Amino acid sequence: MKTWFFGLGALAAGLLAGPGAADAETFSLWVRSDGSTFMPKVVEAFNASQSAHKAELQIVPVNELVQKYAVAAAGGTAPDALSLDLIYTPAFAAAGQLKDITDLAKALPYFDQLSKAHVATGTYENRIYGLPFSGDASVLVWNKALFRQAGLDPDRGPTNWAEIRADAEKITALGQGNKGFYFSGNCGGCSIFTFTPLIWASGGDIFADGGKRATLDTPQLRDAIALYRGMVKDGLVPAGAQTDTGANFFAAFATGKVGIAPAGSFAIGALNTQHPNLEYGVTYLPGKDGGWSSFAGGDNLVVSRDTRKIAGIRAFLEFAYSLEGQTLLARNGSLPVRADLAKQALDGLDRRYLIAADAMARGRTPYTPVCNDLINSANGPWNTMLNAAVFGDAGAVEPAIRTAQETMQSIIDTAP
Amino acid sequence: MSGITLPSTATSAVAPAVPAPVRKSRRRRHDWTGLVYVAPALVLVVGFFLVPLCMTAWMSLHNWPLMGNPRWIGTANYKALWSDYNFWNALLFTLRYTVAATAGLMLVGLALALLVEKPRRMAGFYRTAFFMPVVIGFASASLLWAWLSNVDSGLFSALAQAFGLTEGRVNLLATFEPAFWSVTIMVIWKMAGFYMVILMSGLQAIPPDYLEAARIDGAGFLQRFRHITLPLIRRPFALALILCVSGSMLAFDHFYIILAGGPQNRTITAVYWIFNQSFVSFRLGYGAALSMVLLAILVVLSVIQLRLLRDREDAR
Repeated sequence: MKTWFFGLGALAAGLLAGPGAADAETFSLWVRSDGSTFMPKVVEAFNASQSAHKAELQIVPVNELVQKYAVAAAGGTAPDALSLDLIYTPAFAAAGQLKDITDLAKALPYFDQLSKAHVATGTYENRIYGLPFSGDASVLVWNKALFRQAGLDPDRGPTNWAEIRADAEKITALGQGNKGFYFSGNCGGCSIFTFTPLIWASGGDIFADGGKRATLDTPQLRDAIALYRGMVKDGLVPAGAQTDTGANFFAAFATGKVGIAPAGSFAIGALNTQHPNLEYGVTYLPGKDGGWSSFAGGDNLVVSRDTRKIAGIRAFLEFAYSLEGQTLLARNGSLPVRADLAKQALDGLDRRYLIAADAMARGRTPYTPVCNDLINSANGPWNTMLNAAVFGDAGAVEPAIRTAQETMQSIIDTAP
Repeated sequence: MSGITLPSTATSAVAPAVPAPVRKSRRRRHDWTGLVYVAPALVLVVGFFLVPLCMTAWMSLHNWPLMGNPRWIGTANYKALWSDYNFWNALLFTLRYTVAATAGLMLVGLALALLVEKPRRMAGFYRTAFFMPVVIGFASASLLWAWLSNVDSGLFSALAQAFGLTEGRVNLLATFEPAFWSVTIMVIWKMAGFYMVILMSGLQAIPPDYLEAARIDGAGFLQRFRHITLPLIRRPFALALILCVSGSMLAFDHFYIILAGGPQNRTITAVYWIFNQSFVSFRLGYGAALSMVLLAILVVLSVIQLRLLRDREDAR
């Protein structure tokens, strides 16, 4: 019933656009607003580089992308291609909205060099529906000035949990409003990005069997919660963390009053341009006794089921994967997604990017078609559990984990 | 909603007892011109209320994912809703909030109206000042409040500490009671001016002779207020009350923006839950069913209020 209405709109648009169609075949492309720095540059360069195809870019506010795409798809006016937050790729593929691009992907000579985590989330029932486009890896940042003041080695970030805790204690001891550690305590999206790597690096995971089973009830998760709990209890974390829904995720560290904070690689560019005087280092998110892991985030490029402009999209992807494309991405806030070109693309940039790029190359991404429900929702089981377990009474930890485990499993089981 | 309209329309709708042939045809022509006059409004109501309402009802009978194909499931959504513990919980919270917000808004609105009703010196200034917050959007007001309430960089916690009300800084948004009241007070601050205007128009419509006569008869302020003012502002009060209750029952933005439903999901309102089901869980059909139930509840609440506040003449 929605279809005929939007169909009329599409018809009208088609009639209007019909006679003016240029020689180059134009395909439409959407990107979430997070990509508003690099995407226009890549599209512009692509359009200038050849004349057979033309990409027409539309930037969509990040929180409206899924709804907007769904409405457009229902009306047959979906864009030809979409740069989609990679965690949503399974959900979109499961809903039958995407084109199977397995053959296109496998034909790329450098296919095995593309970010593994992106390709894994882009795969649904052994077919590929999304290919890596932009990258953002989670890392740990530390404030060198505060480290120096506290008598710590400013050039050496923490490499395990005991060191995080010890460094945070020393920095908090400086007083004057300085705190050792910060995290957004009421933001599911933030904590999947920065908290799960702590679990992964310690040998645990929150899902098993390709997202079919929730595995929260593990010693690794309990230990990671205990680390955060302990730091909160001992006042090493600013009080606002408890109710931060993500608004302060980046801003808290940028104030210069926080010693250590998990962050994303995007923070490197943002800190360099907005806070050039802040001295900071970048390191990996460590495991309990060393080792490290990272959440490989960013976008997958997906193709709408009904598009016929596949040649143009292939050309666009090939351009993005070229050295020129990867360099453009790297200079405008995204990590390169092609491992064999990463070093070259990052050449001449801040060396801290290399750590992020390394983290990305070996990063992981949880796989589930119900990510929104489980993880991203502020009221979902993941966020509810962490907030209760980290900030609640000691007695709240076990019930919180148990409830979240049950809720998650039931959401996974009843997913359509 | 007919109870809000003036009684004259209610009586004029009754057809004349003995229609003469000539008058009948003129009357019919009148009817047609009347229809032409209301046509634009009718088109808007049909296009933006009735059609979407029917679509919502239709969707509520389907398993309607945000993406993919809807499937007819009859009344299964309504059956599932019956045992949706979270929805009823959200509804209970919404009722609690509605009671708190409505009581606060009506009291503050009436107090402000009494304060600025008479053309005193500076009355215009105060009216404007009290009304100003109304024109701010709920989203911007919520963002403002979220930052004012921030424990590390905001105003409220620091102020409470400076006045010695709290020992150290307390995170207002971290526990239920302070978080709930913080948001409710924000709503009262923001919306009281609106109800002030409605009630003020009622106060100004009271003929001054009544109050004067009562004063001469020796009635005190409270007596005059209780026996003259209150009964005479019944209609604007009913309007304000219904707007306030239905507005509060549909609360969403401020709980979403300031608290994100926290602490511990205890401030999720009914509309918040509908939003979550529709756009987080992508279950549009189920969200539509919840919306229909909420609509029914609102209709019942409005009818109850209209009955309670009905004028005695109407009742006859």
